[in-house]
Amino acid sequence: MAARLVCQLAFRNILRHKRRNVMLFLAIMVAVAGVTGMNTLIRGMQYGMLDAAVENLTGHVKIHAQGYRDDPNISHSFDYNPDFVAQIPAEQLLGWAPRVRLPAVIMSERETRGVQLVGINPAQEGISFLADVAIDGERLTDDEDGRVLIGRELAEQLETQIGRRLVIITQGADGLNRERGYRIVGTYDADGTSLEKVFVFTGITRLQKLLDTDQVTEVSIRLTGEEARQSTRDSMTSFFDTLDVTDWQELEPTAAAMFVFADAAIYIWFLLMMSALIFGLVNTLVASVMERVKELGMLQALGMRKHLVVGQVVVESALIMTMGVSLGLAAGYLIYLSIADGIDLSSFAAGVEMVGISTMLKPVLHVGDLFIVAYLSLVLGILASIYPAWRAVKIEPLEAMRA
Amino acid sequence: MAEQTLPLPGQATDTASGGGIYLRMAWRNLWRNRRRTWLTASGIAFAIFLVSIGISFQAGSYSNMIDNATGMFLGQMQISHQDYVEDETLENTVLDATALLRQLRQDFAVKVAPRVQGFALVSVGERSFGGLTVGVDFAAEQQVVNFFRNLKDGELPESADEVLIGVTLARNLGAAVGDELVVLGTAKEGGVAALALTISGTFRSGQPELDRTLLFAPLATVQNGFGLGDEIHQFVLRTDDLDSLEQTRQAMEQALPEQLAVRAWPQLLPELVQSIELDKISARLMYGVILILVTFSVVNTFLMIVFERTREFGMLLALGMRPGAIVSQVLLEASFMWVLGTTVGLLLSVAIIGYFAGAGVPLAGMEELAEQYYMSDRLYPGLSPEVFYVAPVVLLVGTQLAALVATFRIRRLQPVVALRAH
Repeated sequence: MAARLVCQLAFRNILRHKRRNVMLFLAIMVAVAGVTGMNTLIRGMQYGMLDAAVENLTGHVKIHAQGYRDDPNISHSFDYNPDFVAQIPAEQLLGWAPRVRLPAVIMSERETRGVQLVGINPAQEGISFLADVAIDGERLTDDEDGRVLIGRELAEQLETQIGRRLVIITQGADGLNRERGYRIVGTYDADGTSLEKVFVFTGITRLQKLLDTDQVTEVSIRLTGEEARQSTRDSMTSFFDTLDVTDWQELEPTAAAMFVFADAAIYIWFLLMMSALIFGLVNTLVASVMERVKELGMLQALGMRKHLVVGQVVVESALIMTMGVSLGLAAGYLIYLSIADGIDLSSFAAGVEMVGISTMLKPVLHVGDLFIVAYLSLVLGILASIYPAWRAVKIEPLEAMRA
Repeated sequence: MAEQTLPLPGQATDTASGGGIYLRMAWRNLWRNRRRTWLTASGIAFAIFLVSIGISFQAGSYSNMIDNATGMFLGQMQISHQDYVEDETLENTVLDATALLRQLRQDFAVKVAPRVQGFALVSVGERSFGGLTVGVDFAAEQQVVNFFRNLKDGELPESADEVLIGVTLARNLGAAVGDELVVLGTAKEGGVAALALTISGTFRSGQPELDRTLLFAPLATVQNGFGLGDEIHQFVLRTDDLDSLEQTRQAMEQALPEQLAVRAWPQLLPELVQSIELDKISARLMYGVILILVTFSVVNTFLMIVFERTREFGMLLALGMRPGAIVSQVLLEASFMWVLGTTVGLLLSVAIIGYFAGAGVPLAGMEELAEQYYMSDRLYPGLSPEVFYVAPVVLLVGTQLAALVATFRIRRLQPVVALRAH
């Protein structure tokens, strides 16, 4: 009964000053909509970075031989048992790929460069950036393909083109150098990122024969989502107990730090916005109490308990917040819809690569973020009502009625 | 001013104190409700504080990035053959390097370091990797960049046959200080470039790509090895006067032979310029939101003020005051509110920025990020004029608009109705 009365009184109080409260709603709406819109962009950036880090031949979880990461050499290679796949729930596994990845020297008729030579099985590389890039010429056909696929930028640096030959020098299992000619099957275009300069791909089986080995230097596992990363890493660590099992957070510490930083940025912006807002809210609530000094004094004289007086103010504040936040979330959602196709950052291409995301920034809406915004706003609304409520309680019935 | 066109009744002749009374009234009106005034002014102050601090630390982080990016290895400016800009090949050299070097040092207040570089196969024993051999003048380099402070082992090369290599390259080669290293590449005229060098030391720059590919030998050694005469690929420059960098760049472009390109850091690091630009845009959006929502709460305050004083305004109207004069009166109150908020906000900003400008903010736990973004481990806020005027100016407009919106009613106020309001 009392609760209903308090809510009714609070609600009618808000209706008493429509113009004033509309302004407050607008302020809350702008804040919440701004934060929500910004959140979707920050999340979009965060997931863009994660994708880039994971696709950049890293995968969510990666297995190397012990020592390979310190000294990337074919002597640090391993045999793997493909049964490891059974350890990962099928619905969590997007794919996996074995690779031989070694530093190498690549030479055209005119230029010499240092690169990473990567032996792949093209059928299994749907998990890496290779699946998405545009290709001039052809792709590698299979793991026996003895030709190379190189980046467009590298081709320019080497002053060579598709169909021409390159010489690649790398070290074999016996420690001696292998020097072999390769024909360029095609070039890939990874949006001008540095990937184009670093990775040169060829068929894994042919490369293994050249190096006199049947082992691989890495197995990369791509999962369907970030959630399964830790559990997969754990199960792989126990399955490959003699090998070095890592995940992208360890292999790409910069991306991992950015990922955490983005989470923090969301909360920092939210807190700043809300603190700016709270002055206006307190102001309005105090005014609403001071205007009703006579009325509140009368109610107390008639026997209304103090906690109901406090309740009125708190509920009023919470109601204002709820309405403002609802409007704000709706407006934020509209902002999200209007940019859902992505924001084209291609005029900032180089700067965007530095951050490690693609030039199309797609906002990502996290329902969890919306709940957190709503919840924290409500908490703030209640905090904001402490001082006004205290003012209301301090009212002396006798003096108030005489005022 | 309002006082000349809109005198109060009874004071029409008293022009000397006419201006004073409006100001005094506005000031006193402000203190009729202290709490509200302070709360509103605090809102303004807080917004100004946030935006000023934000702009200042952004500016600080940008100059930190620029300093570190250019001071590390790249230099603030580079001079090279214009073909070298597009195509960093061995043939695109700057001729008569010694004479040019002398001219640069004489005519401009800059420190200059010459460099040549060539890609080659680098081998120690059976192991070979691709590397970029850079010929430098170690003494000159140390005046221009900080790169050669990052020695991990050993020393800088002193004699002509010594070489400094990256830690990752050394590890890949399985080589240590004192080992023999062979560089095999293609010389300028197409012959074989071969150098046999002794590793005098290793460096760790913090940038994996550099640690993996670079090796440094004395300038003349690399010039001779790659069949270059008195030729270099780049002059790397440093000036103490970063503000006039662009003027210096243009002056050099005028003074130097036409086929040379003079590039300053914005041309050398377009990605840095762009990511700064991107960061500025997104921060501006957020500042905009903060300033807008504070403006809304100012509207709110003035709605309350106007509402409370309906009777008073009715009385003034009945006495013959023009609605415009009442509106100006309220706008004057808004200006005072703004002055209060701005003063408090700016004082706070100056105190905080002043403190951190001396002490710096440690970027603990963000080393990885700091490295990627070319930042050092301490951040010093920047002090540019825009730190102190952007937010105040925006809010001056905002508060005046807010007060104007809130006073729309006054123009339609009927004195008789208003006087009867409770």
